[in-house]
Amino acid sequence: MKIKIYRRAAQILTVFAIFFIPVLNVFELYFVKGTFISMDIGDAAMADPLAVFQSMIAAGRVNEYMLGSVVIPIVLMLLLGRVWCSWFCPYYLCAEFMSWLRRKLKLKAYKPKYSENIHIRQARVRYIFLFAGLVLMAIAGVPILNLISAPGVISTQAMVIVKFHYVTFELVFVAVLLLLEFFYFRFWCRFFCPTGTFLSFFRSKRGMTVRKVKEDCSNCMSCVRSCPMMINPMTMGESAHCNNCGDCVDACPDNKAQDTLKFTFK
Amino acid sequence: MRNRFTELFEGLLNSNPFKNYYKKNRLRPPGAASEETFMELCIRCARCIEVCPYDSIERADLFEKLQIGTPYIYPENKACYLCMRCMKVCPTGALNPKLTDGKKVRMGIAVINQNTCLNFLYYKDEMLGVSATGTAQLCGTCYNVCPYTDEAIVMEKFILPVVTDKCTGCGICTEKCPATPEKAIAIYPEGMPVDKNTGYFGRRSKVHGRERKKSADALKGEKLLEEKQKIDSSDVKPDFEYNTENYDEQY
Ligand code: SF4
Ligand code: SF4
Ligand code: SF4
Ligand code: SF4
Ligand code: SF4
Repeated sequence: MKIKIYRRAAQILTVFAIFFIPVLNVFELYFVKGTFISMDIGDAAMADPLAVFQSMIAAGRVNEYMLGSVVIPIVLMLLLGRVWCSWFCPYYLCAEFMSWLRRKLKLKAYKPKYSENIHIRQARVRYIFLFAGLVLMAIAGVPILNLISAPGVISTQAMVIVKFHYVTFELVFVAVLLLLEFFYFRFWCRFFCPTGTFLSFFRSKRGMTVRKVKEDCSNCMSCVRSCPMMINPMTMGESAHCNNCGDCVDACPDNKAQDTLKFTFK
Repeated sequence: MRNRFTELFEGLLNSNPFKNYYKKNRLRPPGAASEETFMELCIRCARCIEVCPYDSIERADLFEKLQIGTPYIYPENKACYLCMRCMKVCPTGALNPKLTDGKKVRMGIAVINQNTCLNFLYYKDEMLGVSATGTAQLCGTCYNVCPYTDEAIVMEKFILPVVTDKCTGCGICTEKCPATPEKAIAIYPEGMPVDKNTGYFGRRSKVHGRERKKSADALKGEKLLEEKQKIDSSDVKPDFEYNTENYDEQY
């Protein structure tokens, strides 16, 4: 259970950060500022590539500020894969909390059974949703997909709470998603989230991916059962669905004896 | 090609939730692109809101419809003090990061209501030799608090405040104006279309139409100065009225 501990630590630190950064700003320390739609640390600016892409389409122009702010996220994406989702996204932590709650309440398992083509169905819905969203957004000419970016909403709400002491209506959206999450396993991340889908376009085969490094294993299927994105980690580590959470690596019993399923760079 | 149907169609499109329109004392942060462009560029990341040391920038809530999450300044609550930090953090150029000189900011323009401004009332009292209000007070607060005193706002006859086209629209004067119940000086935002001209139709045709360039210098420079010069301290001359009707043609 090693990777999971680091991952939890990163997630909890992130949640801490989304509340702590506005506090810093209230005390006029501006080293880090912004929300998960866009933030900067010192002089390094980062922005959600989808958000910036939307404003490029809407305004029909590209300027150096836009390009400058997506460099870091895209390089991270190319190097480390979609680690944003499983290691930092506050929504993912909440969704995992929902699964945990179900386990604690001893409700019956709700994760769908793995099947060969479930990921194709997922991908289809995701791409259609993103595409429809972008079309709608282009017609409106306003980056409206940001209004349904779960991590963005959570972190702006955190900022609003700390700085202005109230919450706004968008929180209802996240609350509804989480409620649904209680009944449908990771449905937002698997089927809809435009942020995650757009990020996965920048996934490179050469970056960090899960691979089976040994020819054969005991074929216990623990990794398949553990994967939250419903893919087969042994063969599909390069898939756009994989968010490098490492749950499969943790689950693999053969790893104890000899490296079998590992994160590798190519 | 305008007829009843195109007008009906325009009307329908214009009453959609993308609406954003001109409203007194509601401004975009300094350096903001014209409203249509701003709505396209702003990704609602709230970085400008976080960086503002005076908490001047507020985040639009649901009642602002689709602008929810975009930054606004309400100078009646808190004006912008022109510290020039917010534009530097904007990741998309919705606020122009090249703007560093507070003097060049044009968020809007201050307009003094001569019927309620304490100094104008005082002057009237003096001129007429009667007390119109019974409580004549001398004020001049706006003149004193303006960061560009004697440039953006000047005193005519040593007593009557007059705003010039150097006004940045920061709204400090509005924030501090003591006139009650309504402030005697208000900021009219720059680059915002009027209500009925703003919906989807208005946005697209205006943004991508030929008129875009023209709107950039609406009521600025010479023309504005001309308007302003009509203001005279003695009350025989016609009252100055900020010409909001003209927004139709300009945007
Ligand atoms: S898919 Fe979206 S909501 Fe899910 S973890 Fe990734 S960014 Fe967060
Ligand atoms: S210039 Fe300074 S005071 Fe004015 S809105 Fe920007 S950050 Fe706030
Ligand atoms: S920093 Fe720029 S993009 Fe972000 S909320 Fe402010 S104006 Fe919008
Ligand atoms: S008159 Fe001065 S204080 Fe008032 S808005 Fe203009 S620049 Fe700011
Ligand atoms: S602060 Fe208000 S009342 Fe006082 S002089 Fe200026 S406009 Fe008139």
